[in-house]
Amino acid sequence: MKIIRRFFRKIKEGFIGVGRHFGMAISSSASVTITLLLIGFFLTLTYNLNTITQDIESSISLSALVDYDITSKTTLDSLEKQILAIDGVLSVDYRSKDEEFTYYVEMYPDIREFNELYREQNPFHDAYLVSVKDGTMLETVKNRISGINGIASVHDGGSNTYLLIDLLQKVRIFGAALVLSLTLLAVYLIYNTISITIRARDTEIWIMKNVGATNGYIRGPFMVEGVIIGILGSIIPIACMIAGYLYLYNMSNGVILGVFTLTNPKPFLYYLCAVLAGIGIVVGYIGSFLSVNKLLRSKR
Amino acid sequence: MIKFDKVSKVYKNGTRALNDISLEINEGEFVYIIGKTGSGKSTLIKILDGEEIPSSGTVTVFDTNVGKLKKRKVPLYRRNIGVVFQDFRLLPKKTVFENVAYAMEVVDTPKDQLRPRVREVLKLVELTEKSSSYPRELSGGQQQRVAIARAIANRPKILIADEPTGNLDPKMSGDIISLFERINEEEGTTVLIVTHDIHTVKAHPKRTIEIDSGHVARDRAEGLKDEDNKTILQED
Repeated sequence: MKIIRRFFRKIKEGFIGVGRHFGMAISSSASVTITLLLIGFFLTLTYNLNTITQDIESSISLSALVDYDITSKTTLDSLEKQILAIDGVLSVDYRSKDEEFTYYVEMYPDIREFNELYREQNPFHDAYLVSVKDGTMLETVKNRISGINGIASVHDGGSNTYLLIDLLQKVRIFGAALVLSLTLLAVYLIYNTISITIRARDTEIWIMKNVGATNGYIRGPFMVEGVIIGILGSIIPIACMIAGYLYLYNMSNGVILGVFTLTNPKPFLYYLCAVLAGIGIVVGYIGSFLSVNKLLRSKR
Repeated sequence: MIKFDKVSKVYKNGTRALNDISLEINEGEFVYIIGKTGSGKSTLIKILDGEEIPSSGTVTVFDTNVGKLKKRKVPLYRRNIGVVFQDFRLLPKKTVFENVAYAMEVVDTPKDQLRPRVREVLKLVELTEKSSSYPRELSGGQQQRVAIARAIANRPKILIADEPTGNLDPKMSGDIISLFERINEEEGTTVLIVTHDIHTVKAHPKRTIEIDSGHVARDRAEGLKDEDNKTILQED
């Protein structure tokens, strides 16, 4: 009963604290808002870049050509199984040499005469189109498929493919580092603002200590205040991200520059809102905890 | 009740604030602690309050060795000690009643006991009619009385006042000391007043301990005499 009473007292005191120091709470919330807006923007950008780069990577595939002398279905099935068993292989798509011939003739209509001349002596191989889970595994997968008995050769898009994969990887790392740095910056900014808010109330803390309040008792309402400040500060960024992303998605029909597909707003925006509110709450909580603790430690 | 046995305190920067002090204060006593700035008075209070621990020697308060007190036990220990400071330290956004009640709320006093006790102490410090006022609406003497009411609200066994008349005129200072005397008599609280104000000390004679350079220079049960003016607190 006492624990429940104390819990609700902390919540109540937290709200009263925010109300009594509304100006300071608003200034703390404003710093949360600004940093969360930045985080929200870069998180959206990075997430979409990540999706786009993954789309590009998954469209990069290897073409494993089967030896001419392998024709039995059993051997072909065995080859497919061996390729699928390789770590990093996402999917394997078999194309017979006839399908390969038709595919190229349809793809390049200018070479119709090629169709008439060579249909009977089809020079294509049976082939496996291999997709990899991650572009960085392309080379390893290629080397391992090349080593399988019955595979004549494995083709990729040449050195430019690897350059592209490397570039995409760097874009992803840069995006993640940016979001992480911004989050740390947010923690620092919010910690500082909350510190000022709390330090301005050191008399209150001093009185509590002097009459024999425990550190936990003193800390509680301040941490509730931190959480409230975090929640208040995340409202505007969440609203802006929802409105902004939906506007961009609807304006562009989900495709930027006619090539890059934007992530579907559902469930992406749900996650984004949860992440922003979560960062606000956690950072508010941690900021308050560190600030109050610093003050509490200054007196035994 | 309070016993300092060969207590010394040396701060990290090498300052020796207390030097082999031994003294005893009994339950229900009214004691002035006087001394020049930097004589060690504040350190003595801080040790009593559990804020500092002695470098050597033993401080015993209600059979508790304060120096050996674990950090987590300090809040409980502190509930037996009320502290009043020169600058009042009232919460400006709370009324007089709320300021006093606050001290009781933070130690989880049940509501049915809280309101009657706040009314009781406000009556004791003669501020019943100001209970809805805010600190800024009060005079310095009235603010100090609120601070005293807050310090005694939880019925501490010891009341320590650090320069309680430092910001007050002589008339108000006398009133405040009279209030401490009443608390001492009516509540049975042991009162320790740290002060520079030699006139007030002489006007309300009680046991007086003078601290000088970390030592007990004098300990007079009957208070100060006229000739002490020449030797005590010469800087004032």
